[in-house]
Amino acid sequence: MTETKKLPKAPAQHRWYFWVGWALVLLLIGWSFTGMPSFALKENAVVVAKSMWHGLTHPDWAYVWTGDGEDLTNALLQTFGIAFLGTFISAIISLPFAFWAAHTPNRFWLTSRSGKFILTAIRTFPEIVMALMFIKAVGPGSFAGVLAVGFHSVGMLAKLFSEAIENMDSGAGESVTAAGGNRLEVTLLASLPQLLPEFVSNTLYRFELAIRSASILGMVGAGGVGTPLIFAIQTRSWSRVGIILIGIIIMVTAVDWLSGTLRKRLV
Amino acid sequence: MAEPKPVIEFEHVNKIYSNGVVGLKDIELTIMPGEFVVVVGLSGAGKSTLMRAVNRLHDISTGDIRIDGESITKARGKQLLHIRRKIGMIFQNFNLVKRATVLKNVLTGRVGYYPTWKMLFGLFSAEDKQRAYEALQTVELEDKVYTRADQLSGGQQQRVSIARALTQSPRIILADEPIASLDPQTTKRVMDDLRRINQELGITVLINLHNVELALEYGTRIVGIRAGEKVFDGPVADADAATMAQIYTGQEEG
Repeated sequence: MTETKKLPKAPAQHRWYFWVGWALVLLLIGWSFTGMPSFALKENAVVVAKSMWHGLTHPDWAYVWTGDGEDLTNALLQTFGIAFLGTFISAIISLPFAFWAAHTPNRFWLTSRSGKFILTAIRTFPEIVMALMFIKAVGPGSFAGVLAVGFHSVGMLAKLFSEAIENMDSGAGESVTAAGGNRLEVTLLASLPQLLPEFVSNTLYRFELAIRSASILGMVGAGGVGTPLIFAIQTRSWSRVGIILIGIIIMVTAVDWLSGTLRKRLV
Repeated sequence: MAEPKPVIEFEHVNKIYSNGVVGLKDIELTIMPGEFVVVVGLSGAGKSTLMRAVNRLHDISTGDIRIDGESITKARGKQLLHIRRKIGMIFQNFNLVKRATVLKNVLTGRVGYYPTWKMLFGLFSAEDKQRAYEALQTVELEDKVYTRADQLSGGQQQRVSIARALTQSPRIILADEPIASLDPQTTKRVMDDLRRINQELGITVLINLHNVELALEYGTRIVGIRAGEKVFDGPVADADAATMAQIYTGQEEG
């Protein structure tokens, strides 16, 4: 007769690392506090907070549309344009990078590794830094914003694309080869039809993020709604800040909803 | 009438994988036009390797394989593509572009007849679209022509891939475990289609199966493979239970 075996206890070998890890985290938190200056509010903090609150709750509705091209609607449209064009450009740049970085069978590991390294390098540059550099190159304005969004997005978009390529089912391509197709024809007839919906979906997702970052690029002079926002904050016209924030929220929500709906249909 | 020429010839074919595993060992095989040849053997015996060697999806190590008297082993570039287009292939996992329509999938079979730039724009001729539609009629799926491939059942997808192979106007159809992921009814459907293609259109069929009953029911000739070696080759009538047992277990019965 065989005896019922009891579930053995989980091996306890990693307990030690667990406690040391937590001790390190706590130590880091404590150490961070030592660098903090004494916590004190400015004297007029309450007054400023009050006027801020008043401004934000009484937005400057007149600013929405003034007709002279210097209003909120125009600024938002410009931001939308920067994000759209930037994402579009980056989607195109991303394609060759994605195929370079994709780690597919029968490829030398260094090829894809070097591609992945470059994409990581691109991702480490914040958009703001890119915008500042492009302003030096092409002057302040939306074009610098487009380039900043365009180049920064490549880092993430090409990575998403290359993952789509890695996860692709290679069977359909094999069938094209078997029918006498060359490599390019395999790509055209089997790979692209499978990848395109995924690519478009990734691009839309990236566009959602680009709208958010394009909103603040104007703060360094790269065009869009960020410019009036930073002016309004510096001149303490809180009611103007209020309406701009409302505008940004509405635009971001609308774009999220729209692109989310589109993406659901694609897959 | 002239003596019929073999459509597929294997001459001392060896395949050794890069990790040292022997895939095929000195295979000699001659297949005549119109035959329905079933390759049987255990999983891993080299059946798939044999199939894929025919259209060079896998390269062989030594030996020669000739299609219609022309060596595919030595063929390069265009020549290789032109030999391949004579050989339709059906796969275990159907290998369709799932997001594309049935028509587009079936048209893919014609790729070998077009210059690449035309494929860039998907420019298939009206004549080929009609040919694709007729191939779909052969497998009785003409009403699904504009349906997306992923909306079909497994059996229907496999029949679409048969239509794709037919559109190629092939001399040979290779079927690599075409029914391994199908239920018994659908299996019968697919096998009947293949038999019809073989008998009515005279296309040579080379198929591998691991179901002995099906092999005996549909095949005209059985080739037994064990550990990369051909251990049996003969008409179905000669493949009795003892022979089959020998192919599968390597032991003489009785």
